[in-house]
Amino acid sequence: MVTVVYLVAAWMVAPGFYDGFTPQQPYHFVCPPIHYSGNQPPTNGHLDVKVIGGVSDANVAFTDDAQVLVDLLPGSFDVTGKTSVAVDIKPVSPCPKPPGLTYATNAYMITAAAPLVKKATLVMRYSDLIPAPSNIYHADSPDGPWTSIPVQSEAQPFTINATIDKFGYYAAGYPSSAVSHGGPNSQLLPIAIAVLIVGVLLAGIPLAIVRRRGAAQEGEPDDSEP
Amino acid sequence: MIAALATRPLVRVAVLATYILLVSWTRALASNVPNAYTAAIVIGGLALVLTGVAVPFDRLGLGRSRLGLRILGGLALAVVLLVPAAARAGAAPVLPAFLAVPAIVVSIGEEIAFRGALYVALEDLGGAPTAIIGSTALWTAAHALSHPPEFLFAVAAAGLLLGLWRWACKDLVGPIVGHLIADLAL
Repeated sequence: MVTVVYLVAAWMVAPGFYDGFTPQQPYHFVCPPIHYSGNQPPTNGHLDVKVIGGVSDANVAFTDDAQVLVDLLPGSFDVTGKTSVAVDIKPVSPCPKPPGLTYATNAYMITAAAPLVKKATLVMRYSDLIPAPSNIYHADSPDGPWTSIPVQSEAQPFTINATIDKFGYYAAGYPSSAVSHGGPNSQLLPIAIAVLIVGVLLAGIPLAIVRRRGAAQEGEPDDSEP
Repeated sequence: MIAALATRPLVRVAVLATYILLVSWTRALASNVPNAYTAAIVIGGLALVLTGVAVPFDRLGLGRSRLGLRILGGLALAVVLLVPAAARAGAAPVLPAFLAVPAIVVSIGEEIAFRGALYVALEDLGGAPTAIIGSTALWTAAHALSHPPEFLFAVAAAGLLLGLWRWACKDLVGPIVGHLIADLAL
């Protein structure tokens, strides 16, 4: 009875236990994976960075769906002759498909109206429904070439960070030949459950026989006694 | 205070419940701090394990009798917990590799705290029904800050399932095994 209640209750919400971490908002893909349903289009981001006293202000540019974030320090731009600097973040469509790379996120074009002169921090969120990316890749054109840049440890789950010194095209992913962090659950989880069920049945039968024999022996009359 | 903890079940329940809720909620809030995430979950899980230190293993449900059968029961519990996700595997999350250790620590810690120490204290206070309902209610409340409201019914149902197993089999090994596998899978 309680098992049925649990199954119904769990069916009513998105799968996952999220023990210790909050489930994330669904990722908005330009090119969603085959098994992904209910996809929404990703959004752009725009920021006007103010120039105060000849120095560009510290600020954070991000897309409206918070999938990409660029953290800018004070004085990040060469602001000669400017009163503000426009920063734009746009998802790239169609999706770049560079040979040898698999992207876990959308590719984004990040542009600014002034040259970047200080390093900025790029944070890219990725979906919890696909294997985690191991690298961030940069290119000056969506056609490539795409080069890997060093990434930092994950400050938050399901995000990947890097320090960047120029804008352009960015995407997070991994080499297609690499073993990713866990396979897609669409293939592994049903197999794992099937293996567990078979294991429980196969191990349970001998255990039940042993217990029944033990119980029978305890219940047998002792013939040696008169 | 120590004497009251030992002799008065109500005091023991109140102290344990307060401690467990504070640890769980602090862990949930701290895990939102950038770069503190893994540490917050691991430390929170270890703080929950501490609740079982003063309780004998047998009373916690961690005795060694019929261990094979109880581990098998844990595998069966894992199957039940994971079936709703396996049936919709395309929408099931993939646990990042770096979260494996926190998932192990937190699942063991939660079972020892809720179905272990708290269950024993509640059982001493009002018997099995109090222990099952009380531990499930506190388990649900403890997850209120880390889960959206619509998840809490499923959380409560899972807590009730594990609590009933704890009562029916006088066993905590099964819930630990089931919880651990479920957390690692998702």
